[in-house]
Amino acid sequence: MTQPVMPDLAARVGSVLLKNPVMSASGTFGYGLEFTPFYDISRLGAVIVKGLSLLPTPGNAPGRIVETPAGMLNAIGLQNIGVERFVNEVAPRLDDAGAVYVANIYGRTIEEYEAVARRLSEIPALAAIELNASCPNVKEGGIAFGSSPEGLSGLTRRVRDATGKPLWVKLSPNVSDIGAIARAAEEAGADAVTLINTIVGMAVDPRTRRPKLSNVTGGLSGPAVKPVALRMVWEACKAVKIPVVGIGGIQSASDALEFLLVGAAAVQVGTANFRNPNACVEIVDGIRDFFVREKIFRLDDYRGKLLLRG
Amino acid sequence: MPQGSPRFVHGKILHNAGSGIFYRMEVAIPDRIDFVPGQFAMVSGWPGNDPLLPRPLAIFRSGGTRGKGTVEFVYKVVGRGTALLSGLHAGDPLALTLPLGHGFEFPGEDRSWWLAGGGVGFSSVFPAAAALEGQRADFEIFLGARTRDQLPPGEWIPGGAVPGRVHLCTDDGTAGFFGTVAAALGERIDRRNSAGPNRVGILACGPREMLKAIAELALPLDIRVQVSLESSMACGFGVCWGCVTAIRDGEKSGYRRVCREGPVFDAREVVW
Repeated sequence: MTQPVMPDLAARVGSVLLKNPVMSASGTFGYGLEFTPFYDISRLGAVIVKGLSLLPTPGNAPGRIVETPAGMLNAIGLQNIGVERFVNEVAPRLDDAGAVYVANIYGRTIEEYEAVARRLSEIPALAAIELNASCPNVKEGGIAFGSSPEGLSGLTRRVRDATGKPLWVKLSPNVSDIGAIARAAEEAGADAVTLINTIVGMAVDPRTRRPKLSNVTGGLSGPAVKPVALRMVWEACKAVKIPVVGIGGIQSASDALEFLLVGAAAVQVGTANFRNPNACVEIVDGIRDFFVREKIFRLDDYRGKLLLRG
Repeated sequence: MPQGSPRFVHGKILHNAGSGIFYRMEVAIPDRIDFVPGQFAMVSGWPGNDPLLPRPLAIFRSGGTRGKGTVEFVYKVVGRGTALLSGLHAGDPLALTLPLGHGFEFPGEDRSWWLAGGGVGFSSVFPAAAALEGQRADFEIFLGARTRDQLPPGEWIPGGAVPGRVHLCTDDGTAGFFGTVAAALGERIDRRNSAGPNRVGILACGPREMLKAIAELALPLDIRVQVSLESSMACGFGVCWGCVTAIRDGEKSGYRRVCREGPVFDAREVVW
């Protein structure tokens, strides 16, 4: 019996090196520390923490989540502790945990985005900043900036100038041409685009005649969105030269492999964390097992190798 | 802070059977777990992605030894998740995250305890009763249901054989007190020994209106009330921020997670 050669799962998102292509998606992983009872979070490619704003944000009134077929709607409203507490209280503990981490940010105005990015840039270990230009659940949560190429371009340029950290821009799927949006981010200086954020949806109660979410509409996530996400990631990969990070309904290694195959440099796992706190590490292990079985030695030997007729 | 570190484990159903409108399920898990009454587990076991999310169930009992544990739940079928759960059999696998949340606090002080369970809410107050029985503490239990058939079986009530300890309440008068748990507690408050110092604590779990009514009755009399709240939740361990409820914080209030800072809150802090 010869020992199988352990495949090299190392991934690269621009200048950011990851030990594997699996990251947690913002908003589904708290500040990362909540997962330390379950596993060593340094095993992940990276941890993307919950969206941070300049000041602590209370979030939307209860009635924030509702389950839908093979998915869920959420309208949390970006409740978070604010950038200052993150820098002082959370980042040092993420350093201690040995995690590679990326901060997701949002602002009500471009100036707030800039201020958050500047403050976070002072964290030496912070791997990148992910610009949330696509939260559907707060009026000023970025979707105003993220739903047109011009809006996104303006925001990205300003934040680009405010930080020396690698800048990833998280894109909204609630647009007509994802390629044009991805190109706008690229041209404005983004180091990578990450997509998709949630798809705007709605649920109502026929008896009470009321919306099930206090915010009326919310963001759809979970396995239900995966085909849409995969198509958009594939289109974005064709539209830009910068790395694309695939997000949307990934529950298993097989799901993650689909995104890598269409060209994603790495993936983020979101809603699956709610159902199984070990989801991210199980996906890492599953990708490794698949590569061993298929005799694939490096991620780059598989990534983007979708076979199309022609 | 949460009491005890949560774990994600795979278990196997030992039995899962209905008794009236309630189901009682015992699950074998890899290790014994210790829990505080009021803590809960996120439980899923049905195949496929629909429904997607696990269901929060109060931990009813735990047992076993190191390397071999059991945990028990009592639940009522209220939707598709619990309906699917009720269809699982001995030997079927389950995934569980537990123990979760902040449970009831009952320091070993000399105090009488009144435990109130409305509907399936008894499932989180019975473990408290079992613990109080173990401490030989003085306690009474108030159980409410719409009608007689919706009360839990008498043999499930920890220490229920002690005369005068259990007060059944039904909305239709088919068993025990004709009225709500809150109304029965109101009468009990009137009958309490007003000569002695006020040493009563209430632990309650049930519909929000019941908890609110109890808080309104008891708080003005300086009776400490702890309530276990229910909420829709996606994760159960504090990362989705979907389950929040408004909690007073000095002059202001803020949204706290039912799954982490709760489900048990001091009733004075809850913004009803």
